[in-house]
Amino acid sequence: MNFIAKQMDILHHKADWFTHIVKLSPRFLLALLIIPVLGGLIAVILPAFGWAPALNQYTIGLEGFRALWQTPGLSTMMLLSVATGLVSTLLAFVMTLLILAAFFNTAWLDYIQRILSPILVIPHAAAAIAIGFIIAPSGMLSRLISPWLSGWELSPAGIFPHDPWGISIILGLTLKELPFLLLMALGILAQPEFGKKLREQHKVALNLGYYPMTAFFKVILPNLYPLLRLPILAVLAYASASVEMPLILGPNTPPTLAVAIMHWFNDVDLTLRIKASAGALLQLILTGCILVLWLAGETAIKYSFRDKLTNGKRAYNSAFWQKTTYILTILVISFILLALIGLIMWSVAGFWRFPSVIPEQFVLSHFQSASVQMVNPLFNTLTIGIISTIFSILLTLLCLESEQLNSKPISNFTSLIIYLPLLVPSIAFLFGLVWLQQLANNSSAYISVVFSHVLFVLPYVFLSLAASYRRLDRRFSHVAASLGAKPFKVFLQIKLPQLFAPILIATALGLAISFGQYLPTLLVGGGRIATITTEAVTLANGASRRTSAVYAIIQMALPLIGFILAWLLPKLFYKSAHR
Amino acid sequence: MQSYLQIKNLQLFRQRQLLLSLNEQVNGGQILTIMGPSGSGKSSLLNWLTGTLASSFRANGEVWLNGSNISDLPTHLRHIGVLYQDALLFSHLTVGGNIAFAMPNGNKKQRLEKIDHALEQVGLTGMATRHPDSLSGGQQARVALLRMLLSKPKAILLDEPFSKLDTQLRLETRQLVFDQIQHYKLPAIMVTHDHSDAEATNGKIITLTPQGH
Repeated sequence: MNFIAKQMDILHHKADWFTHIVKLSPRFLLALLIIPVLGGLIAVILPAFGWAPALNQYTIGLEGFRALWQTPGLSTMMLLSVATGLVSTLLAFVMTLLILAAFFNTAWLDYIQRILSPILVIPHAAAAIAIGFIIAPSGMLSRLISPWLSGWELSPAGIFPHDPWGISIILGLTLKELPFLLLMALGILAQPEFGKKLREQHKVALNLGYYPMTAFFKVILPNLYPLLRLPILAVLAYASASVEMPLILGPNTPPTLAVAIMHWFNDVDLTLRIKASAGALLQLILTGCILVLWLAGETAIKYSFRDKLTNGKRAYNSAFWQKTTYILTILVISFILLALIGLIMWSVAGFWRFPSVIPEQFVLSHFQSASVQMVNPLFNTLTIGIISTIFSILLTLLCLESEQLNSKPISNFTSLIIYLPLLVPSIAFLFGLVWLQQLANNSSAYISVVFSHVLFVLPYVFLSLAASYRRLDRRFSHVAASLGAKPFKVFLQIKLPQLFAPILIATALGLAISFGQYLPTLLVGGGRIATITTEAVTLANGASRRTSAVYAIIQMALPLIGFILAWLLPKLFYKSAHR
Repeated sequence: MQSYLQIKNLQLFRQRQLLLSLNEQVNGGQILTIMGPSGSGKSSLLNWLTGTLASSFRANGEVWLNGSNISDLPTHLRHIGVLYQDALLFSHLTVGGNIAFAMPNGNKKQRLEKIDHALEQVGLTGMATRHPDSLSGGQQARVALLRMLLSKPKAILLDEPFSKLDTQLRLETRQLVFDQIQHYKLPAIMVTHDHSDAEATNGKIITLTPQGH
């Protein structure tokens, strides 16, 4: 009797559906990320060589590449992509290091973090619109110096934005990447064990007579960089192949390679798609080369500075670098603030003559007229964001739970794959996805768009939740299990409540990522699904500044509301729990 | 000239509350021991001496080192070496690299010779190219000591430096540290919980009492 009961128990344990699902979830996650990305890549490589069933073309050949080579200005496009990607990432990286070095272990770092964090959730398109406004010939900067300094009574002719050298793109990308890299670095330094060790070692270096900035570069950076490498590569890959910023801030003749590919792909002339696929392949190679170049530069710097680490020199022009960093930080922050103020003023500006810094009249009519047109895009934005985020959160939680059930972290391979959609230029594999979708005769643009958003939301949600989940005190779930609670009950009633705040933050982040997606929405949706972001990008090129400003503000407000809720809700809940 | 470290009329406050007041001078080669339960302000005293006092504390008073007032100098210009209870060796550098990091800038060959010589003196011959994590706790403590000494400090602070070592190792390391302090005639202040450490210094012992209870 007893024996049979035991057998039943074991059988029952095996059949626990929750454990089953949990254990399968990492494989599901892998499939979900690998199949679309690799499938998309293959489906872009084949048409590039002429094999495109969707167009009834089956001849393998180099037609696409020949057409690509004959495109006027191709080398300029490539150069523009490489230069804007590399220069902006390098600038953002160097500025991140300077800020960290100058303010390490001081309260200032917290203030800078607080000012820059909201920038992180501003979609690229909105940031580009705001930056375009400030540097335009009639923008805030020239208004501030006119006419008393510049002598301009009328708006001057200027080259910004859309300058042929991509300076505006570099400015936009740098300002957007700087907060990302800085917050990534601060996140790493906030890890309890690791961060404490580094702070103590920094103190030791100070005791040994090292100037604070030198101590950072000689002691902290060698330990910090390996953990910062992947985010940097993701930034580099994104910057070299993004379309939002170059579309809004970049030149048109010729544009960057990624923008050109997008135009070819969206052209009514379907045969251009062969050329677009060849271009996507070129973009992939280009981005790959840039990543390799960065890694090579990193190794070269590491070797040439190896001896310098221990040469005993305590100061390198400390006062100069300290001051430079202070000035740079102030400039960056005031530029961002000025851009935001300008954006808000344009959205409510009535009549606004050139050199005046403030509009003559303030009106709400832009918001009123935009709100009528905005209903459908807003609905799409919110529902796509909510569905893809909830899905991503659930899958992430299951995968992290599987780590704890197996009591070992997910493999390095899986962690790398999670980054895959961030490292492969989306312009390359998204086209493939569109081809595949046409092959599969899938006509539901909406579902496809949701799915494509998951590819980009999932990595961020995973990264955001993983640290908190892994830090959970296991003893609580052990106690619960020893009290007879089944795994699902432990998960639902013990772990999830403990993770309430991190889950809300991850949700807000997921929503912000989804709200900001431009390329997936446009390409996978076949242009049929309008969101706030696609509308904002379209309006930025052509429509009135005021309408454009309204869309950019809504774009910024949506993720911000999410984060404010994520920050407020736990406080309200805990308050009521304490009563 | 005799070297000395002087604490002039120190009053240390946490928020508004007086934590400790101290007026002491330590001469070169002497060790002043500070004892007391946790919360009595021992570590805050060390932080004040190195210039890393947290913003929730406030202090009146001055530190003088060999005739100059260093109270307003930043940490890296004070020339006060600290030995913590953890060795805190830099894990991105070798053992030799850790020591070289501390030495003044100069001729590379001479520096390397000096490192080998120093390691030899403390029984770590040939360990310069090893990774710090591959060393035992006692060996790490000795490397940390060398690192601190070769940075040519003018005074030394010991923050429970032996508390993580087992008894035999503790006695040896302690003897080594105290001998070096004697040898270089450096003023030293040690914070400890351990009475045998305190007695071994043959110096003045101050016991702090927790305030405000």
